[in-house]
Amino acid sequence: MYKTKIRGVLIKGNKSYRQITDDIIRPIEGKTPRWWYIAMTISTLALAMGIWAIYITISQGIGRWGLNNSVAWGWGIINFVWWIGIGHAGTAFSIFLLILRQKWRTSINRAAEAMTVFAVICAGVFPLLHMGRVWLAFFIFPYPNTRGPLWVNFNSPLFWDVVAISTYLMASATFWYIGMIPDFATIRDKTKSRIKKALYGFFSLGWIGNARSWLRFETTALILGGLTAPLVIAVHSIVSMDFATSVMAGWHTTVFPPYFVIGAIFSGFAMVLTLMIIVRRIYKFQDYVTDSHLNAIAKILVFISLIMGTAYSTEIFIAWYSGSEGEIYTFFHNRITGSHTKAFWTMVSCNAIIPQLFWFKKIRSSIAMVFIISIIINIGMWFERYVIIVTSLTKDYMPSNWATYKPTIVEVGTYLGTIGIFCLGVLLFLRYIPMMAMSELKAINKETS
Amino acid sequence: MTNKMIIGVYDDEGMLMSSIRQIQEKGFTINDVYSPYPIHEVFEALKIKTRLPLAAFLYSTFGMLATFAFLYWTSVVNYPLVFGGKPQNTLSFVVILFVMIINIGCLFTIITFFVREKKYPGVKPEILHPGVTDDKYLIVIQKDEKLSKNDLESINTLLKNNGAIEITEK
Repeated sequence: MYKTKIRGVLIKGNKSYRQITDDIIRPIEGKTPRWWYIAMTISTLALAMGIWAIYITISQGIGRWGLNNSVAWGWGIINFVWWIGIGHAGTAFSIFLLILRQKWRTSINRAAEAMTVFAVICAGVFPLLHMGRVWLAFFIFPYPNTRGPLWVNFNSPLFWDVVAISTYLMASATFWYIGMIPDFATIRDKTKSRIKKALYGFFSLGWIGNARSWLRFETTALILGGLTAPLVIAVHSIVSMDFATSVMAGWHTTVFPPYFVIGAIFSGFAMVLTLMIIVRRIYKFQDYVTDSHLNAIAKILVFISLIMGTAYSTEIFIAWYSGSEGEIYTFFHNRITGSHTKAFWTMVSCNAIIPQLFWFKKIRSSIAMVFIISIIINIGMWFERYVIIVTSLTKDYMPSNWATYKPTIVEVGTYLGTIGIFCLGVLLFLRYIPMMAMSELKAINKETS
Repeated sequence: MTNKMIIGVYDDEGMLMSSIRQIQEKGFTINDVYSPYPIHEVFEALKIKTRLPLAAFLYSTFGMLATFAFLYWTSVVNYPLVFGGKPQNTLSFVVILFVMIINIGCLFTIITFFVREKKYPGVKPEILHPGVTDDKYLIVIQKDEKLSKNDLESINTLLKNNGAIEITEK
């Protein structure tokens, strides 16, 4: 294989394999730090708020949300698309880089896959609640029934969503778990605690690391990677078709699938960056998540940011070029100017302008700046979904339909609740699961350190 | 035939590989090699292959056919709903087909992996050396009746001369 020095050192400190094992299982074997309990408490409070909001939504109905006849999709769908976008990080990182044989994925893939699983679970909460009567949610699945038999509409993007997202969750979760089996075996053989030995032994499924098992393990990972990579494209293309197949101004556009896919990868990569910077600082993992890793992600982000800018410009250009009054009104008088100006320009600045700072090496090498910009991107991506959904729905083709939209405390509570679920998941992951794939780090250790 | 085996323990990948080559050159059969991470040269040296990619292809093909049959039956045979005068057997089936190819392909491949590997929750591992999941490599050679005393001695010498830090029998 052709080797290039472009990437720099991926594991610093000339580490032995035993050192790698000890470093990665240190957070699991060591005492639980105080910050972890504090973070768990805050996350649980957020989750409690979410449970209250979900209880209100289920017991009193969607009427407790700020929706109306015109704006029938509000924060629920904004947050659904936002979480699904973040959920693309794991697959984008782990699977695209795996099939492209990019070795720098090894320190980051496990955390990115964990994020995917938790983010997709968070995303699933919103459409489920939005159905109104969640106890009838099983109606969405095609099963033999006594209503005709009446089958679901297989041509509806909303049904495609159900199939694609549940497949994505299944594939991501199993890909994540299979990758962890050898590492669980390492902890089983290393730990002195009997409880941990039993627990990790149970989940390691008797792994012993013989050659045939490794061959099958690698082959299965590659097959899952190869099959799931097109799924990443499909999932967010389908999410975009929830909008694009309707006739709303600002939604009815063919650029939506690639624009949504790239936007999802953008927010996912930004979230990975935020998380990895925190992890590397707290657990002193600078030898594994090196400046070279952060630099590589920042370079990808600046490239994607350019694509985002191009997508925004394309939409605006096509709205003008089409000569459609509705499109022109939506883009020029309800987004660039008008009552949603702030949201629109926040979106443009956060996603297309500020990330351009990553062109400068000085900015890319400043951890504080990289961290701040990664958060800015996630804020910008939330506003992108807000702009798409709320601007188009508040002012459609008929002025008599025009309405305003403000989220209620129940919608905000549900959103906070999902942030609680996500943070709880990440915190449990950091405490009980090796946050880097030890076997993969060992495999690249010699040639990249 | 006895169940006994000779185990050479190494702490360096290079030494492990040269040992494997020399043992094979002398005509002895290596039963298995254990390592803390996958080593492609080992797969080649032991000439082991897997048919998982073929299985995945077959599962995905089955997924496509089964899904199409289901969509056709529900939408054309069982409850042919007319909307907008469009045909019931429609091109937009392709989205569900695409996703279900991936779904069934992934699911069955994972099941096959677990079944072929005999990996279930609670399986007790046969740990030949405690360091094998950490930083040690093992070469395992079955001690069968075909091996004479001289053969066993030369295997031991080969393992030792190629840097085995420990040679055990189990």
